[in-house]
Amino acid sequence: MTGAAQVLDRPVARVAPWRRRGLRRAVTFYLLISPWLIGFVLLAAIPLVMAFLMSLSNYDGLNLEYVQFVGLENYLRAFTDPDAQHALGRTLLLMAIVVPFSLALQLALALLVNQRIRFTSLFRTIFYLPYVIPVVAAAWVWKIFVDPTGGLLNALLGVAGAAVNVRWLVEYPTVVLALLTIWGAAGGGMVVFLAGLQGIPAEYREAAMIDGANRLQVTRHITLPLLSPVIFFNLVTGIIATLQILVQPMLLAPGILGLSPGTVPPRDNYLYAVHAYLEIFVKQLFGYGSALLWLLFGVVLALTLVLFKTSRRWVFYGIEP
Amino acid sequence: MSRRRSTATDATLRYLPVLVAATAFALPLAWVVVTSLKKQSEFGSSLLPAAPQLANYQLALSLLDFMKFATNSLVLSSSYALIVVMVSALVGYGFARHRAPGRGRLFMLVLATLMVPNLVLFVPQFVIFAKLGLTNTYWPWILWALGGSPFATFPRELDDAAEVDGAGPLRIFFQIYLPNAGPALAASAIFMFLWVWGDYLYPILLLNGDNTTLAVKMSSAYVDPRGNPLQTVTMAGVVLYVLPLIAFFAAANRFIVRGIVTTGLKG
Repeated sequence: MTGAAQVLDRPVARVAPWRRRGLRRAVTFYLLISPWLIGFVLLAAIPLVMAFLMSLSNYDGLNLEYVQFVGLENYLRAFTDPDAQHALGRTLLLMAIVVPFSLALQLALALLVNQRIRFTSLFRTIFYLPYVIPVVAAAWVWKIFVDPTGGLLNALLGVAGAAVNVRWLVEYPTVVLALLTIWGAAGGGMVVFLAGLQGIPAEYREAAMIDGANRLQVTRHITLPLLSPVIFFNLVTGIIATLQILVQPMLLAPGILGLSPGTVPPRDNYLYAVHAYLEIFVKQLFGYGSALLWLLFGVVLALTLVLFKTSRRWVFYGIEP
Repeated sequence: MSRRRSTATDATLRYLPVLVAATAFALPLAWVVVTSLKKQSEFGSSLLPAAPQLANYQLALSLLDFMKFATNSLVLSSSYALIVVMVSALVGYGFARHRAPGRGRLFMLVLATLMVPNLVLFVPQFVIFAKLGLTNTYWPWILWALGGSPFATFPRELDDAAEVDGAGPLRIFFQIYLPNAGPALAASAIFMFLWVWGDYLYPILLLNGDNTTLAVKMSSAYVDPRGNPLQTVTMAGVVLYVLPLIAFFAAANRFIVRGIVTTGLKG
């Protein structure tokens, strides 16, 4: 600061023009970003510190007088909490089902609507629609689609000659949750793949075709390698999103009166974020729940780092457009 | 093998997979509409309605004060979208166009906080909002919006040219930057609107009673006076809840896809 003041005290003509300009630019920069900076301090930095301190305490969300520092107790507890372990297992299982299937579907849809066919914008809209449908409506869509008596799924299975009274939300809740997740995420991933596909110069494919490659070979050896950065992007975002799934299992909990908050989902759909949510907002264990959430962050971070490490081997950044 | 397949086979190969996929995607949605047109007695007993029951839609609007909660959702979503887009544009302009000591480190901070799960941040925010008496008000959304997000990207050449002519940063922002950023800003405004309109978690935790949003109201089924669920009326309510979004989205379809293409990947 003193340096800057001295600079300004000198006769104006002697000051290097770039320096005055630099100071003005810095002031402009900080003024322009000030809303975000204030928001960042109040809504991100302070809460982050609070979340960390909370996870080391027995805070119940209400009484600050009784707050005690409990050290790593909450974290240790998570490792012996059978519900947390069960929930983590179910979450990783869901991820293992949903993420690869979603990626393949999103890529396939992008390839389909990138063909030279009619009605592409109609098809794109149909695939994209579930992505913009609110989660409450999406939960109803699937709840009514798989309804034991009024649902279309059992009716279709009945036509096919299979069992017709399957209570999907009770017997196979994870199947419905996976369908809802894949269906809802498909359009978002498809659009990103589509942008990637359209960024590949047509000459590459045409050159391969001239050399005698068929459509499958072109896809395998030209399109897929050039798309690998996009595949990687969708893979990472898909994993991060799946690990944090929270409201869908609660909204899909069976019950004729429909959806209700704080409902404990069936054991199979008892996911990790659900466990943390219920510990915090139902049992009022803000301290323990915060520790659970930080551990989730740890899992997300670890998986992302592992993926970035392996990405050097299969993600192709060779050609600058 | 023949060198050229017949055009009929070729057309089948091109259209069959996409038609099958489109049917599978649309069928669950179509079933909601079909169910919304049935008599309650037809639910579970007949596949299609004998005659479309538009009365379900009237019931969906009148059995609860639908328009009041729709207005709540509309006010909350549009004010959030408007504020967050204006602030984000200003902040994004600052990050993209101005160099200052600390800029790089601040940007890294932005990226780092993006990785933290939302709930980790929300739990302490919830405590703060509760202590400040801001629960059951719309202030949390306004505060989130005022924080903005520095992730807007815009063409650079335009304001370089303006700077040469001697315009100040705010003048560049309002006269050159903002008008040119139109499509990108509109796309992100639409997404911000959609997010609040569809969000269930934050209103369920922060709002109650008459202040809550349509998303929360739609999460429980409509019932008859005896407390029996009316699935058909509920589906009519769901259609009414989603329909404005679909209309809105269809109108802005091109915008959105272009906005994602230009900002989504290269941002």
